[in-house]
Amino acid sequence: MTDEMKNIKMQEIMGKKKVSKRTVATIKAYLFLAPFLLLFSTMVIYPIALGVKLSLYGQRGARMWYIGFQNFATIFQDSRFWESFRIPLFLLLVQVPLMIFIATLIAFSYERLQKKGGAFFRFVYYLPYTIPGIVTGIIWSYIFSDGMSPFRTVIDLLGYSGTKILTRQHLPSILLVIILWAFTGYTAFIIYSSLISIPKEFSEQAQLDGATFWQIAFKIKVPLLKGVFIPLFIFNAIGAIQVFNEPWMLSKLVILPSNYTPAMYIYNSAFAQGRFTYAAAMGLILAFLTFLISLYVLRSAAKQMLAGDSQ
Amino acid sequence: MVMIEYSYAPQFMDLGAFQPINKWLDEKTFIELYGDAALGWCAADGQIYGTPQDSGAIAMFYRQDLFDQYGLTVPKTRKELIEQARKFKQVAPSNLKYYAPPIGNTMWWIGQVWMAGGKLFDYHDGNWYIHFTNPIAVEVFETLGACFDEGIFDLEMWWNADWFNSLNQGTTAVVENGSWFAEWLRYNAPESEGKWRVAIPPQWNPAKPTNGMLGGSGFYVSSHSKNPEAAAIFVNWLNSHPNSLKCLHNYSNLPIMVSTRYEEVLDEVSGPDAFFGGQNIVETLWEAHELVNTTFVVLPIMSNVDESLSLLIQEYVDGKIKRFADILPRWEKQVISTMKEFGYSNMITGKLP
Repeated sequence: MTDEMKNIKMQEIMGKKKVSKRTVATIKAYLFLAPFLLLFSTMVIYPIALGVKLSLYGQRGARMWYIGFQNFATIFQDSRFWESFRIPLFLLLVQVPLMIFIATLIAFSYERLQKKGGAFFRFVYYLPYTIPGIVTGIIWSYIFSDGMSPFRTVIDLLGYSGTKILTRQHLPSILLVIILWAFTGYTAFIIYSSLISIPKEFSEQAQLDGATFWQIAFKIKVPLLKGVFIPLFIFNAIGAIQVFNEPWMLSKLVILPSNYTPAMYIYNSAFAQGRFTYAAAMGLILAFLTFLISLYVLRSAAKQMLAGDSQ
Repeated sequence: MVMIEYSYAPQFMDLGAFQPINKWLDEKTFIELYGDAALGWCAADGQIYGTPQDSGAIAMFYRQDLFDQYGLTVPKTRKELIEQARKFKQVAPSNLKYYAPPIGNTMWWIGQVWMAGGKLFDYHDGNWYIHFTNPIAVEVFETLGACFDEGIFDLEMWWNADWFNSLNQGTTAVVENGSWFAEWLRYNAPESEGKWRVAIPPQWNPAKPTNGMLGGSGFYVSSHSKNPEAAAIFVNWLNSHPNSLKCLHNYSNLPIMVSTRYEEVLDEVSGPDAFFGGQNIVETLWEAHELVNTTFVVLPIMSNVDESLSLLIQEYVDGKIKRFADILPRWEKQVISTMKEFGYSNMITGKLP
């Protein structure tokens, strides 16, 4: 064997070794990923696939038959489904911007109080977020109940004895209060985390020029927080569209239509009326709408950022 | 086998979820063991699918302490019930209620019509009959409605913390509910021990006493059952053998069982009851049960029927509907349209069989 041949042989062996090393690394990577992939495929991919399959079937009791896209066609004409978006729309247009605004103010207060008990306030405001939505609903349904509300005595003293606290007309505002209570502290925390990562030089420069704290906050820092506002808006928009726990719990105090929110309508269609395949189709449409809104917000945000860069 | 509330069983029969057990329990034996009316809760088109367990016979639960305090008597007729309510409202503080039916809970309202000897709908020879605006149902809604409009009866949401609290604290004097409510009160309103009593519900027509039901469940043999014979024998034993009936009374918190053989153990299971101030409530509830002489088959779209009525009553409470009795025709219209929407073409409206 000549030296040249030896070299080629060596290269072949080396090459092979390289390949097998890579294979081992790949296998290792998949082994590490396995628990996630297993859970993701059984808990996310499989239910979605099953949902897609179910949505293509007609159903009466235990009998099911293939009907193609008929469920979707029915949903487009089902005014009850589209009416159910009133509450999410209200939350999307009122609660989400309001909450991000309040949370931003709170985040700036955290920043101001950094050394004067800021950590304590961050902890206290964050607490409601740690309580599961259903528990929150139960607590608030006590607070708004007619006989047991802690506000009852005050309301009676003011001369409104016998007045109902929770009525259907009040419900959107009550939902607003509950959701703001539950999520504002958490949102403020996220904004605060971004706030402290803004380089000090920016505000110091403005301070030297005579800008006040709130001028610096709104004119310099808020524009720099865009990166955190966009995901916050998307997450809260998703939450608004899928709102279920709070109105569900309050429906023990006041009668609500089964289509009060899209998620309630889907749940009631499936579990109260036994229309599982129809509910599956509505679920897919809801998911698709959520996806569209997220995409729209992301794209318009990206456009704005690009426009900002080119200026 | 499955345990299902009588009212909801027909829709499962309609969907083919149960299998007939006539081979092992013929109609004659069924009637002997459970009575005529029960056939309507466990059978359709001559096919028997299960056996009835507890009775949901309506009874009047009332607070003796409030009756004593405000000098009230136990009403025997609807007319007396209304008179007593009017008297109570005049003398009691405004936060106390005499009689406060539920906002929603369709079965309660159906129970009222049933109690008056009427119906809203029925199933016969493969057809669904719907006729809400028949004379008896109209009378029930007009009579109760006039009391709501006048303000002597109240309406409230049941089964929430507020309601539980009001029963415990004694802010409502009279509650009409199924017999099972006796046990329910005992466990959920413990502070009211000794203050409640039970009576036969005030009659619509005292000359012809009748009663209706609210709840109560049967055991049905599922179409998935691999051994329907064993299942049939078991559900029959479970709900008619005296030993089993005694166990059901003692351990399942069900005061009254439907089986005619319950009479054989009645003396053994009844007696003075401390929660009800020493009254022998099993005897009273059994009497209330024996007044149930008709059946009431409900529509296969009960959740929609319920939603529709609940929303209408809520609209009345919110002031959007001015006269309570106007709810009945609107409810009927909505139910008929939902039946159509769900594809029930075998529907006859405007009359009952």
